[in-house]
Amino acid sequence: MGRYILRRLLVSLPALIGVLFACFLLLQVVPTDPAAVIAGPDANAATIAAIRDELGLDRPLLVQFADYVVRVAQGDLGRSIISNREVLEELGSTIGPTVELMVASMVVAVPVGILLGTLAAVRRGRPADRVIMAISVAGVSLPIFFVGLLLIQWVGFKWGLLPFTGRTAPFWTWEGLKGLTLPALTLASVLVGPVARITRTAVLEVLGADFVRTARAKGIRERSVIVNHALRNALIPVVTLVGLQAAYLLGGTVVTETMFSWPGVGRLAVGAIISSDFPVAQGAIMILALSFLVINLIVDVLYVYIDPRVQRA
Amino acid sequence: MTISQSVPAGGPVGTPGAEMDAGEPVALPGRAGILRRLAADPIAAVAALLLAGFTLAAVFAPWIAPYDPYYTDLSKVMVEPGAEHWFGTDPTGRDILSRCLYGARNTLLMGLIGVVGGGLIGGVMGICAAFYSRLEGVLMRLVDILLAFPAILIGLAVAAISGPGLRAVIIALVIATIPDVARVARSAAVGVMGQEFMTAGQAVGVRDRVLIWRYLTLNCISTIFVFLTLRFGQIILIGSALSFLGLGAQPPTAELGMMAAQGRDFLFLAPHVATIPSLVIFVIVLAANLVGDALRDALDPRLQH
Repeated sequence: MGRYILRRLLVSLPALIGVLFACFLLLQVVPTDPAAVIAGPDANAATIAAIRDELGLDRPLLVQFADYVVRVAQGDLGRSIISNREVLEELGSTIGPTVELMVASMVVAVPVGILLGTLAAVRRGRPADRVIMAISVAGVSLPIFFVGLLLIQWVGFKWGLLPFTGRTAPFWTWEGLKGLTLPALTLASVLVGPVARITRTAVLEVLGADFVRTARAKGIRERSVIVNHALRNALIPVVTLVGLQAAYLLGGTVVTETMFSWPGVGRLAVGAIISSDFPVAQGAIMILALSFLVINLIVDVLYVYIDPRVQRA
Repeated sequence: MTISQSVPAGGPVGTPGAEMDAGEPVALPGRAGILRRLAADPIAAVAALLLAGFTLAAVFAPWIAPYDPYYTDLSKVMVEPGAEHWFGTDPTGRDILSRCLYGARNTLLMGLIGVVGGGLIGGVMGICAAFYSRLEGVLMRLVDILLAFPAILIGLAVAAISGPGLRAVIIALVIATIPDVARVARSAAVGVMGQEFMTAGQAVGVRDRVLIWRYLTLNCISTIFVFLTLRFGQIILIGSALSFLGLGAQPPTAELGMMAAQGRDFLFLAPHVATIPSLVIFVIVLAANLVGDALRDALDPRLQH
């Protein structure tokens, strides 16, 4: 197990360096001179040159990259051009809400998806199966902002059931939980369909296996056969899929946060890009990409934990 | 329903010595076969018709749009859908139906360029990785790195570099399509590389260029094509999400995602301004996904899992 994790970490090293290099390049290729932006429109050439020197912008690219990696490792991501606050500080306050939103949406979507998928598999070919599969196809075709717009318009505005104006309190308070519900449901909507679909396929595959027939032959109740024998074994591909879907979830958080004024990393990134605040945009994009790497790593390790056979392969 | 017309990918297409017209899409089953199969599946048939309808409507938008999509009429602001304006008007009095037609044009074009561009680059990468084992390490590491960036993130990064705009979104969609296609193309090509006709071709000294194109590419092309069809809907969703965020097409250009974003500010006064463009995206993507599923089942069932 330990060796597997180590090997897996080594494999993700090139990707990590790639992510860092891409984020580093982000600041290199922007059309505007960062020094000129920081100095402001009225600065003279000497000031700009001084800032260039201070930022080390005249040195070779690879030296600058090495320097950048060291600075990132020390948590120095530069300062926001607009608020002049440390980028790390700006990011720090946004990570919590984003994690909160992603976890909440998974807490909703994964059980619902597994339940629907299992139900569809058990009722294969019957109306329940057809309806669930139709929902699943519709689910992967829905623009996430459409779901958000509908929830805001109906649940939030017309019926006045839940707030939609952002995060007013942490999630463990009643107020915070209510505020979290609509964004989490919006984000969950993109995940339910794929989870249901993959669960159905996996359960169907397992239901045909010999050990399920044995369990039935032994006279175990059908409910127990499905839950304890079939579903447990079917969960392996589901876990992988949930991990792979993290990509979509991360993308979805960007849209969801922007719609619901949710103070997360995604909204920060979009705001920074639109206002040309490059250091903040770079930091936010880096954090999102790094968390994607970490989520994939966790999924792979979890995969081995659930199915030790993978390790030997 | 006959299966016999579909030549399975990896089939006898590249049999050594077999001379064929290089330009023919040989690896694909006969068109009549695909059409018949799509027609046999009523849902897929309807979806295919819808998609064709949207495409035609988008292509011929300048001729069929009832109004000028950029003409503002401040005396008819946020009119609800009705006889005069089927989809209503937006906050500056522009006809939403006309804007949807022009918007679908940009949205579909965006998705098409993304899928075709990314498919070409990714396909070449994957096939080269399978053919030249020396290149495999470098190419596939590159693919791994690209995979570390979810599509929306690529969009954010490109928009940060080149500034928000339709061009930024298209570049992002091309880049986002590359890694997945490269993987699919590589695994399809590796399968073909292991076939005897490939070894035979190499043994009798067929030139690399011919081996790569006739023996390898033509045998992988249907797998890649089906995969791209399946990706098309997702690519449109990502593109319109980026536009919705304000990183894509800029006003006054009509683009469906951006129209939804503009309507968001008037959601409680005139919900149709935001919901109609969103609904159009939904129907286009749904149709694309259903057609993709049906094509996969008909052409390449191996992609199912």
